[in-house]
Amino acid sequence: MLSRVAERIYWLARYLERAEDTSRLILVRHNVILDLPRNVQPDWELLLRVLGAREQFAQSPGAANEKNIMSFVFSDRENSSSIITCLTHARENMRTSREVLPSETWERVNSLYLSVARRANKGLPRASRHSVLNSVVQSTQQIAGMLSGTMNQDESYQFLRMGRYLERADMTTRIIDVASEVLGNPDEDARPYQNVMWVSVLQSLSAYQMYRLSERHNVRPPDALQFLLRSPVFPRALSHCLLELEDAMKLLPRGQDSLKAVQSVHRKLKRTNCAELEGEALEKFLDDIQVRLQGVHEVIQHTWFTPEQ
Amino acid sequence: MPKSSAAAIKAPAPYKRARPGIDWNAYDPGQFYDEIISSPGNARAAARGLVSYTRKMSIKHLLSRQQAADLAIQEMGISFTVYSDGENIDRAWPMDILPRIIPLKEWQVLEKGLVQRQVALNKFIDDIYNKQRILKDKVLPREIIDSSPEFLEQCIGAKPRYGVWSHICGSDLVRDSDGTMYVLEDNLRVPSGVSYMLENRAVSKRVLPQLFEKHFIEPVDDYPSQLFDMLASLSPRSGDQPEVVVMTPGIFNSAYFEHAYLAQRMGAELVEGSDLVVGDDDKVYMRTIRGLERVDVIYRRINDDFLDPEVFRPNSMLGTPGLFRAWRKGNVGLANAPGAGVADDKVIYTYVPDIIKYYLDEDPIIPNVPSFLCVDKKHCDHVLKNLENMVVKPANESGGYGMLIGPASTKKQREEFAARIRKNPRNYMAQPALALSTAPTLCGNSIQPRHLDLRPFILQGKNHYVTAGGLTRVALRKGSLVVNSSQGGGSKDTWIVDTEAS
Repeated sequence: MLSRVAERIYWLARYLERAEDTSRLILVRHNVILDLPRNVQPDWELLLRVLGAREQFAQSPGAANEKNIMSFVFSDRENSSSIITCLTHARENMRTSREVLPSETWERVNSLYLSVARRANKGLPRASRHSVLNSVVQSTQQIAGMLSGTMNQDESYQFLRMGRYLERADMTTRIIDVASEVLGNPDEDARPYQNVMWVSVLQSLSAYQMYRLSERHNVRPPDALQFLLRSPVFPRALSHCLLELEDAMKLLPRGQDSLKAVQSVHRKLKRTNCAELEGEALEKFLDDIQVRLQGVHEVIQHTWFTPEQ
Repeated sequence: MPKSSAAAIKAPAPYKRARPGIDWNAYDPGQFYDEIISSPGNARAAARGLVSYTRKMSIKHLLSRQQAADLAIQEMGISFTVYSDGENIDRAWPMDILPRIIPLKEWQVLEKGLVQRQVALNKFIDDIYNKQRILKDKVLPREIIDSSPEFLEQCIGAKPRYGVWSHICGSDLVRDSDGTMYVLEDNLRVPSGVSYMLENRAVSKRVLPQLFEKHFIEPVDDYPSQLFDMLASLSPRSGDQPEVVVMTPGIFNSAYFEHAYLAQRMGAELVEGSDLVVGDDDKVYMRTIRGLERVDVIYRRINDDFLDPEVFRPNSMLGTPGLFRAWRKGNVGLANAPGAGVADDKVIYTYVPDIIKYYLDEDPIIPNVPSFLCVDKKHCDHVLKNLENMVVKPANESGGYGMLIGPASTKKQREEFAARIRKNPRNYMAQPALALSTAPTLCGNSIQPRHLDLRPFILQGKNHYVTAGGLTRVALRKGSLVVNSSQGGGSKDTWIVDTEAS
């Protein structure tokens, strides 16, 4: 299999996943802010911090208010991680590797891109925010399902898996980050809201029902955090993503280095008592995981996409 | 049973016997040679099955088959790309379901003629880049080579395997009103269209299966394996399965569909220039997830200019640095070889009968269209005087661009063209406008004669191979002679039919 083709499939999966997870992430923030006590000032800029897009936003015209930030993360083509940019890249990667991917999925990716592009100039007003973002989530889920259901599960599929789960691992930590301000807030006023917010976070990750099934008790912040980070069975949990990555790497030639890199992230996760993480310690932990995942990407890149001469 | 589902199942309407079928007496190609009928109402021998079959079919029925074909083409994703308004548009491939039919006996002669031509042209190219005997013997004036932009100095002294430079050749055939087939031009560089020949056959098998029972039609489907075998025969390494790749300029190329199609059918990798790397050992490798893997043969679908920035256009992003060097050292097979285009110059074309005579000591089996070289003063005067009856072509363009079609031109266009010819006579050649043959074609709600040509594909490596038929291109506009798909042309499946087997 050509490195270029492998790389395009990997990035196709990453960008699709990123579009989905960014939608989920905005939804979480949206819900958290709706639930905030009146005396707490809603902080939309947190979205930019979590997405690592603060500097880019600073260069764009317009104040850091809700409307501008929403447009920036949803439909600003200048923003290298906006949903429209992710879908543009996903579409381009798919377009140029159409011969190895099922053709129906190309049509779906194309039509998802077009539907978001058509809405782009309308921004993301509160009234339609939920339905628009939800439809992005649904479409990307559908595409992922089509790929899993119709593609040969050969080497090219492993690159799809790696792209998907590496991106998801990273984005799950960011989604937790978005809510962490409330979770880790020692302010007594915020305490009563924590449970409500964790329900929001879990729901945005389609994790609420699964959490209840698996934990069999009410949502308690430490348990919710533990579930999203450590559950081996919930498909959006960090631990599960790492297991999928390890599995995909075992099925590929020359996967040892990447496998080692993922296993070290996994060990770090297992050593940490997630339930006790709060405030700065949690943020630091999540940052550290994100840096390590970037390291995994670099090993993947080095091993399969730019082989040495 | 619920009422609704009972109502939904309906027996097919009874077959009406007295339907009016296609009336072949009403189809009249006039003074043109028609490929299907010899005179109104009379089918040519090889086409009797088609004509008698359609006599029983209403035009409505035939149109529904055409719709089925259009749908199949969409579903199969058969497309070509046109570039317009700064954008690439994928268009469904236009195919007319009524086949063009050639009797096997006639085809067998044409086949010999096509092989003869390719063999002679390859000997010519090999000679031009090596001993240049044909120039020393003054059969061909040296100026023609000296002034040819397709002659590549870098290729002098190269000795590709079997002495073959143009491994895949597409020669365009046209038939004049007296029934004679001529070679209109040779495409020795990167001829395209073969995937459409294969797909047209797949579509007509789907929508007209009954006709395949009535005719003995030569199959075309083994082209990809023949192509693979030919390419494999160019491998510099003996022994195990050689690594053959198809090299494409990328998705923006108008023939990308074909590149991907052929790669898939041959089970070869479809590579872009950046996928390949030439090592210090002057061997070609491709970047794969297993590391670098040696490449033995490249079926390249990119032009010479862009092939290797070390030797040709230094700013080419499409090629691979060092590829030419690897080829010169014999470490990789390139099909077609760089420099092969020297022989499909439209001026060289006029010398092909002499070239065949010189290298093979044979008379050409398929004649050339009589041609006038504008570089020759006497010819040029004749061309300028008779522009309205001439087709004038630039020597080095393909795709039907930059041509003047005399009978269809305005006075102003002719004057402009005359000025261009006077300014640069070497760049132009002219041929009398042929009365191209026609074949019945579905146009709107009726069957009408439309002009067509034929592009067979000829392979030469260790062995020879000619496709059974080729790609028939048809000018869909009434009276038009331009068959290029980028300019409103369509296509037909081409049947080589054995009238004696039955």
